[in-house]
Amino acid sequence: MFRSAIVRSLRASAPRAAVKPSASFQIRSSPIAAQFTPSLVSQSIRFYSAPAGLSKDEIEGRIVNLLKNFDKVSDASKITGVSHFSNDLGLDSLDTVEVVMAIEEEFSIEIPDKEADQIHSVEKAVEYIQAQPDAH
Amino acid sequence: MARLSGLQRDVLSLYRQCLREVRKKPIDSQSNFKNYARAEFQKHRSVNKKDFSAIEYLLRKGQRQLEMYASPGIRNIR
Repeated sequence: MFRSAIVRSLRASAPRAAVKPSASFQIRSSPIAAQFTPSLVSQSIRFYSAPAGLSKDEIEGRIVNLLKNFDKVSDASKITGVSHFSNDLGLDSLDTVEVVMAIEEEFSIEIPDKEADQIHSVEKAVEYIQAQPDAH
Repeated sequence: MARLSGLQRDVLSLYRQCLREVRKKPIDSQSNFKNYARAEFQKHRSVNKKDFSAIEYLLRKGQRQLEMYASPGIRNIR
């Protein structure tokens, strides 16, 4: 009974002894951290310029130019901001795919198949590009 | 444009894949690859859109051809 009490008291004191040095470690390390944090904070701040944001007219102009260079367009005078690829410009679905791919390249984005299938007119393409933050 | 059938969308998707592969080729031969892909698709323009077995066959053939030409060893095409 007496012996077990001694063992218990030893056990209880042992972890306390182990905890003590680590506590002093923490105290010692905190001033160092305080010294370093200001410089780390100032390093991690970066300044970004505001996003350029393409205007509707600019996008439209670039797409119209791209269509003018496309050899399959039947009547170049019909290219406007609202022309429909197949109804106004006489392009078939394969040509439309080519136009959409050219638009991808022009604005350095990748248009997934599902969205690309929906783009049938200059107007739709402008709308899509405007909604893309990565387009430039 | 009228709503496209699933098969028609597959064809367009294959064409898109082909055009994407073209961009990985050397710049001076890219136009050759593009013209080739275009010609291959134009060749079968007259296939009736109801002729499913023919279209499916051509799709499979096209996919095999794409895989073959996509190999980086092939740098140019006539």
